[in-house]
Amino acid sequence: MDVQHYISSGILESYVFGLLSSPEQEEIESIASQYPEVKAAVDALQEDKAKFVKLFAVVPPVAIKDRMLDVLRHENTPNGHQLLPAELRTVAPVVNGKARNGKHTPVVKLQSPKKKRDHIWKYLAAAIVVLLLGSVFMNFFFYNRSTDYKSRYKSLIAAREKLEAEKAQQSLTSQPLVEKEPAILKDPAYRQFRLEGSGRFSNYVATVCWNPQTHMLFLIAQLMPVPPEGKQFQLWAVLNKKLVDAGVFESGAALAGKLQQMKPIADVQAFAITLEKTGGSTSPSLDQLCMATRPTK
Amino acid sequence: MGATITYTELELVHGLQARDEKVFSYLYDHYSPALYGVALKIVTDEASAGDVLQEVFIKIWRNIDRYDATKGRLFTWMLNITRNTAIDSLRSKAHKLELKVQDVTSTSLMHEPQLAVHLPVDHLGLTKVLDGLPKDQRAIIDFAYFKGCTQEEIAKVLDIPLGTVKTRMRNAIIQLRILLKQL
Repeated sequence: MDVQHYISSGILESYVFGLLSSPEQEEIESIASQYPEVKAAVDALQEDKAKFVKLFAVVPPVAIKDRMLDVLRHENTPNGHQLLPAELRTVAPVVNGKARNGKHTPVVKLQSPKKKRDHIWKYLAAAIVVLLLGSVFMNFFFYNRSTDYKSRYKSLIAAREKLEAEKAQQSLTSQPLVEKEPAILKDPAYRQFRLEGSGRFSNYVATVCWNPQTHMLFLIAQLMPVPPEGKQFQLWAVLNKKLVDAGVFESGAALAGKLQQMKPIADVQAFAITLEKTGGSTSPSLDQLCMATRPTK
Repeated sequence: MGATITYTELELVHGLQARDEKVFSYLYDHYSPALYGVALKIVTDEASAGDVLQEVFIKIWRNIDRYDATKGRLFTWMLNITRNTAIDSLRSKAHKLELKVQDVTSTSLMHEPQLAVHLPVDHLGLTKVLDGLPKDQRAIIDFAYFKGCTQEEIAKVLDIPLGTVKTRMRNAIIQLRILLKQL
């Protein structure tokens, strides 16, 4: 072989600068191992190349070294082993299909420790978001329920109040039935006078209780209507055919059981009721006489 | 820490074989700029170059037993790993021939645009060398070494007969050697 010709053909330069195919490369390595001159020429070219590429030198980011040392320290653990590029794994225990044609996978694999951590964070973040949403939903749900309870509670209170009001109303109206006979009617100290209506006032009933000792006078308008507008019933005490004002009083169903205090009367033989203008009159309008005492007992 | 420790290539190889992390650290500190520079020149973006560099050093760590000192220097071996890894990365990113050709034939190639951003260790020397190379010689080194083009691709792109690619390459390297000696 013409070594000089071989050296000057340019094939060694092409070899050193990566222009040759693998079979050609192997051929040159074989020849170089046999011919020291070829070997020397190749080595010289490698030195040239080394000098040349060093001109392009750039200091890499510091983080790369740390990241790499981290990978190397864990290379013997199962996890660390997985972090290595596929083609660098000694035994590939859990290699997935892709790992074999490692051409495009290695770079990705190297980043996987970080990515794994990223994934954990992603899952964590997702879980937190789900929990948050759940909590918001529950808050909403329970808030609605609590307001529901609130409104139901309110309506129950209202219903109860209404019932109580109705009950009070009822007890008020039923009072005359219950208290048909106030204690005073049974008091022997009081004399009772029953007044009844006549003519168009028939069916009207009132009772007057008078205490001869204390002169106290009470009236119960048991069955009397609400007087017309501007009018009021007035009680008169009859003594020696003279009518003495005993005061005005309220009437109507609502007051049917109410004991109304009248003006004190020193002495009396009978009672009469007239319909007078509101506030009462000083002398009775006898044409408006509605009721009078029927002597009792 | 006293005098700076230096290792011979043989010591480095033994240290790596003994899984000595300090040796690895030394190796990284001394060779990563050159290897990163090559990776960056090939893949042209920092993120990919970083990934390539990391992969390269892990390959060195794992495969140090495959290094054969009789075939060449440690640096040459590491450089080959770097170039192959970077070109694989480049190709995996769907850098087909069209893209590659488009890339290398664009005028931007001749201006080394990334050098303005990534200040090289020896910017002055690089400029001298690249300025000293005729355009077609510079292109053939670029295509072959940094782009991983085949002779056929180079013949097509430079529009020269296939048989003259090797002699062009030889002329380019002779010129390169002259320029490097002048540094």
